Amino acid sequence: METGVSKHEMGFFSSVLDRLCLTPLGALLLVLLALLPLIPPFNQQYLLRWLTIVALSAASAIAFDLTAGFINIVNFGYAAILGLGAYTSAILAVRTGLSPWIGIFVGALASGLLGFLTGLLTLRLRGIFAAVMAWFIGLALMGLAIKMVWLTRGPLGLRVPRMFDTSSNEPYYYMMIVMLLVVYVICRWVTRSKMGLAFKAIGQNMEAARTSGVNPTYYRIVNFTLSCTIAGWLGGFYAHYMGILTPDLMHTSKTVEVLAVVYIGGRGSLWGGAFLAFPFLIAMELVRSGFSNLPGLHLVIYGVILILVMIYLPGGIASLYYRFLYKPWGKFWEFMVGYKEND
Amino acid sequence: MLNSYFARAFAWLKTAGGITVATAAVLLVAGTIDRGPYILVNTVVTGGMLGLVAMGLAVILGVLNIAQFAHGEYFMIGGLSAYYVIRPLHAYLDAHPSAFLAMVAPFIAMITATLVGGLAGAVTERVCFNPLRKRSRANWVMNSFLLTVGISVVLVNGDQLLFGTDFKGITHYWPGVVSIAGVFMSVDRVMTFILSLVIVTGFWIFMKYSRTGQAIRAVAQDEMGALMVGINLEWIMVLTMSIGCAMAAVAGASLLFMYPSYPTVGLEPLYMAWFVVILVGLGNVMGALIGGFMVSLLKVLTLEYIGAGWEFVVPSVIIILVLIFKPSGVFGSEVRSVLDQ
Repeated sequence: METGVSKHEMGFFSSVLDRLCLTPLGALLLVLLALLPLIPPFNQQYLLRWLTIVALSAASAIAFDLTAGFINIVNFGYAAILGLGAYTSAILAVRTGLSPWIGIFVGALASGLLGFLTGLLTLRLRGIFAAVMAWFIGLALMGLAIKMVWLTRGPLGLRVPRMFDTSSNEPYYYMMIVMLLVVYVICRWVTRSKMGLAFKAIGQNMEAARTSGVNPTYYRIVNFTLSCTIAGWLGGFYAHYMGILTPDLMHTSKTVEVLAVVYIGGRGSLWGGAFLAFPFLIAMELVRSGFSNLPGLHLVIYGVILILVMIYLPGGIASLYYRFLYKPWGKFWEFMVGYKEND
Repeated sequence: MLNSYFARAFAWLKTAGGITVATAAVLLVAGTIDRGPYILVNTVVTGGMLGLVAMGLAVILGVLNIAQFAHGEYFMIGGLSAYYVIRPLHAYLDAHPSAFLAMVAPFIAMITATLVGGLAGAVTERVCFNPLRKRSRANWVMNSFLLTVGISVVLVNGDQLLFGTDFKGITHYWPGVVSIAGVFMSVDRVMTFILSLVIVTGFWIFMKYSRTGQAIRAVAQDEMGALMVGINLEWIMVLTMSIGCAMAAVAGASLLFMYPSYPTVGLEPLYMAWFVVILVGLGNVMGALIGGFMVSLLKVLTLEYIGAGWEFVVPSVIIILVLIFKPSGVFGSEVRSVLDQ
């Protein structure tokens, strides 16, 4: 994409940030995340465990947004595809003793393959049909995970060797933060290249995109494959972090959780969902534990916010940022560190 | 005369719809001969109600172009309302036996459930879909679908919050069993089947002959044209949503003896109803009834021959095949172009 500032005009700091597709604010938040385990309320193990899960949700929100926000197809089987990666890696580790470090990439490959097939199968379908198709693929996968007890132990739960030989959560947390950054950077690189433009064109109007010489088939499959590969990778991490896997992971309600985060955060922004996941999911957890005599309250709030955002704020939190903060912040950072936003 | 009928019947049998219906009929007969008449009975009893749920879904799809993900929740609402009506009535009956009241009580429960479901649908339309429609019609199908996802989350967890997660079920509406063709089945099942037929017939007459029903069909065909001839669009939208949800609710109420009410009870009917609707073609209302029986048959056969738990896998595989090879459904659909965005 053509930019206002050419590369060699930028300082070292700006160019690093540009490579990582971060704004100074984003980099600051990332540093904050890295320091979080040292700050008092979060240095307790159970909070850190929770933070790791939140970071995992944030990362899966980014990959979900790559499909939902760009080519405008809601992958309703997302959780199941994530679960496929988790089960592949877990079963390989249990049956063949394959190291989790290789296993999560094999899991990613398996999910990516399924994503490729889903992309192929949904080619003739659009919008709601594709979403329903992905949903049924997800249901079939979950049904298989429940019924293939000899392989997955079904609802009994599959015990999975963990990644690190330690009961502390710090290594997992830092690994997850790195994975979050990697996922973000990959998705960002893809979407700010010409391919991202093609994705947006297909998402907005497929006929117009096709007329302009964009091949929807190719881009849809690439998008699906990439999104699902990342999901499988994250699923592998989940398996080796939690140490136990049940088919519940693949349930539609898990997809809905990711979907809510993405849409409240702002579809098509990539960072919206990831950014929102932290305050939002932590607040929800506080509501859940604070009102334990009212089970389900946090999910009601969750749903109400999703409805309100869908009706009154289609762009989510990200659109608020672009409307009110984008320009003043840009000026501020340009003044402070000489950073100029690129895209 | 007769010849031309046969010719037309054969021509129909060669279409996708004909092949599917014929296959289903053959399977039904084969299953019944192989395993006994209860295959037939189970198919017919649950098929009617499944058809009702799917018809509600199809009406909402066809007229409002909303792909309901929260349809199962209206099923749940119906079951819940019926439960809270029938329990006190049964308690009263235990204290004061009365043959007449025992006969009528279930109907009171079901009618209450229908009204509550219809009201819930109307409120949803006014509170959620109307503001969205006013705000933007761009990308409507996808946005309204996601809106129903939020509604589903709210209703499921609201139910959990207000009524708890325990199973709220009853053993029977009407006590006793009857014997039909050598199969003993509870009166409830027979009544459920009869009820579904009555409601479907009533609905068909309403859609075909009443002015309101014609207006609804007009809106489904062409919203702009309907507006031009002076149809009150907002009222039709509220009414359609209300009817669609009431159909799910009455199914939930009359199946309370099979599906006790708990927060996520709606998932299975939702899934089955979607399966029906995609099988017959989105928005095809009358096809949904036939589809209801076919899917019900498929479920019964899967349970019988493959085993419990596979009823989620087998239909999913079939629906994926339908979506690949015949995305407009076996009976075809007129609203596909709208939903194709």
